[in-house]
Amino acid sequence: MVILMTIQNAFSTLAIWIYVFILGLTLGGWKGKFLVKVLLPYSIFFVLTFWMLAAFGKGETVVWKWAWFQVTEESIGSGLLISMRMLAFVTIGLLFTTTTNLYELMMSLIHQGKLSPKWAYGMMAGFRCIPMFQSDLAQLKEAHRIRGYKHSGTWKAFFRYAVPLLTQAIRRSEQMAIAMEVRGFTGEKDRTYYQKTYITVFDYLYFSMMLLIGICIALFV
Amino acid sequence: MSSLLGCNHLSVRFFEDKEPILKEVSLHINQGEKVLILGPSGSGKSTLISVLAGIIPEHIEASVSGEVIRKKRVGVLFQNPDTQFCMEHVDEEIAFSLENRKVPREEMDAIILELLQTVGLTIEPHTPIANLSGGMKQRLALACLLALEPEVLFLDEPTAQLDPSGRKEVFEVIKNTATRTGQTMVMVEHVLDGCIEWMDRVILLDKKGQIIADGKPEQILNQHKPEMQEAGIWIPQIYPHKWEDIIQNEDHPKRIALVNEYETRKETTASKKLHDPVLEVNHLEAAYFKETILENINLTVNKGEWIAVIGNNGTGKSTFLKILAHLKKSKKGDIRFHGKELKKWRDRDLYQHLGFVFQNPELQFINQTVFDEIAFSGIQYQWKETDINKRTTELLKEFGLEPYQNQHPFTLSFGQKRRLSVATMLLLDQDILLLDEPTFGQDAKSSHDLLQVLEKRKREGTSIIMVTHDMDIVDQYADKVIVLHQKNQAYADHPYLLFSNQELCKKLAIIPPIHYQLIADLKEVEDNQKQRVLSITS
Repeated sequence: MVILMTIQNAFSTLAIWIYVFILGLTLGGWKGKFLVKVLLPYSIFFVLTFWMLAAFGKGETVVWKWAWFQVTEESIGSGLLISMRMLAFVTIGLLFTTTTNLYELMMSLIHQGKLSPKWAYGMMAGFRCIPMFQSDLAQLKEAHRIRGYKHSGTWKAFFRYAVPLLTQAIRRSEQMAIAMEVRGFTGEKDRTYYQKTYITVFDYLYFSMMLLIGICIALFV
Repeated sequence: MSSLLGCNHLSVRFFEDKEPILKEVSLHINQGEKVLILGPSGSGKSTLISVLAGIIPEHIEASVSGEVIRKKRVGVLFQNPDTQFCMEHVDEEIAFSLENRKVPREEMDAIILELLQTVGLTIEPHTPIANLSGGMKQRLALACLLALEPEVLFLDEPTAQLDPSGRKEVFEVIKNTATRTGQTMVMVEHVLDGCIEWMDRVILLDKKGQIIADGKPEQILNQHKPEMQEAGIWIPQIYPHKWEDIIQNEDHPKRIALVNEYETRKETTASKKLHDPVLEVNHLEAAYFKETILENINLTVNKGEWIAVIGNNGTGKSTFLKILAHLKKSKKGDIRFHGKELKKWRDRDLYQHLGFVFQNPELQFINQTVFDEIAFSGIQYQWKETDINKRTTELLKEFGLEPYQNQHPFTLSFGQKRRLSVATMLLLDQDILLLDEPTFGQDAKSSHDLLQVLEKRKREGTSIIMVTHDMDIVDQYADKVIVLHQKNQAYADHPYLLFSNQELCKKLAIIPPIHYQLIADLKEVEDNQKQRVLSITS
């Protein structure tokens, strides 16, 4: 990603995107249907961003002009770069989320990142709350609808929803915390682990390969 | 005898309260004893086990006086199945207990498999917890506690948030564990059927947080029934009587009572049905994320009719109810409310005539005081202030909430919250009220109070559609029962005709109320005798 940000050339960005895309297909196990669902909206967004920057961007060499649209070579370049960059970011993010398991990530943060188990286990418990939070919000909205409440002013509506949602969330997290502590969780490092993560040769290999290919693309394409 | 755990002159007061919640409680529990603690809400029964388990004052602050004898290794099963876990998968969750105990990694897999077997979960260990039913989650929670190898197991209303079938499976597993391992157990419950039979001892607390009775289950049930009823405890339907005695003894008082009950129900089938449709549903089809979950549902709801919707978990009862309230969209079919298509109604007009009570009352409250909560709809529909005040005060009285009108809805007890959630839906005198499991998790008294108010409304002409798991309510109150089974409407008629049809009940996995079971069993005994007589004469 760091490399991506420093690249000023649309074609090398494209190359990196293709590279990440191939990685996703081979290692990430992406399937056609999934790709269409996830990447299609971004692709549309990509075209739009490109068009915006290309048609309204500044530049001297005019390629095409109609009404108030003015497409120049420079604007095409910057449009392609920015939109390509966006697409590549999204794809890298996707690669990360589809290939990384939360539990494993937390375990590796404990073992390799020296994160305290208190934080890591707390975060895992927190992630479990997200779906409950969503269903709470859905019910809250329905309850307001039934009572004839109209959304007058978004801030007011926000506070209306926020208080009961937070009350629920606080109560829930308190119960969870007590349940965890009663089960003997102390937050100290002195515990055994069901799953340990290790850095293997493969990890180093993968990392250096990524770096190398990234730099190569940045320099030579 | 030296006791395993207990307390002497224990008093507990929370810092925000003036009065102590527990007063001068002395109690001793021996190794292997199974103790059930009962009491009305606010009697400090949960507080008592929290103190004995060490949660108070270790994790929750309170001022505690008196002597407490605790055990170091304890397990506590809480009532909410969703807030006891911190992992995504079943195996990780059990392993979490083992990790805390510093069990070596090599031993974990075997222990996990063994524990899953102990609690009767025949699932792949790496199953996401989110895929489990409520009953399964509680069994998993129990496995996680057993992984701690506790000296004492505390259970704080373990089945309060489960439906009857979930409750049955959890009680069964707890019982099996208790009898096999001789585990010491201290349990708080307000449903006694399914657990009182195997308890060694019952302790009854009163409203002031004092012990008023301590003894064998039969003895407490015989001597303190009025106090238990006042406390809102669900009195067992059969215990301490025995089923065999009831079947064999013709003059058994329980038998007479049950047969009478059955006859009364039978008579209700004869009542004339009015035809005055409020809501009509034709060929309804519903889907959940493209997957069809209900098809070909037909229903007519008449004025002043009480309709119960039942079915196993995941049969789409709640979705069905939400579709009727226009909160969710149907896939196909025609729904008419007062003769006009439901989707042609404007929200504002529709909800003046239709009320909906959600499963979780807390998420339904949108105001700062009980009074405002009820008055809210009146303000939204721009009523005159005097009218709003008059109607709100009437409803507060009707639902017994007048003393609390200036409190925040969240500070009410569970039963009061539920009553408030229903009251808020009646300010506009709605013609039809849809309720999603309104008696869920309620004690016997609150549940009874609520049903009485609804019954009164019904007689005044309000139509009621209610999703429930409680067959006794269906039997006692409903004019018509809809059974959702495998995407279809498997039954739609009077509850008596359903419950007295044993084969149909079996097919639909419905356990009829106890008096129907008695009649069926008696008939079987009679048939057997007849056959015996026949075989002798021939």
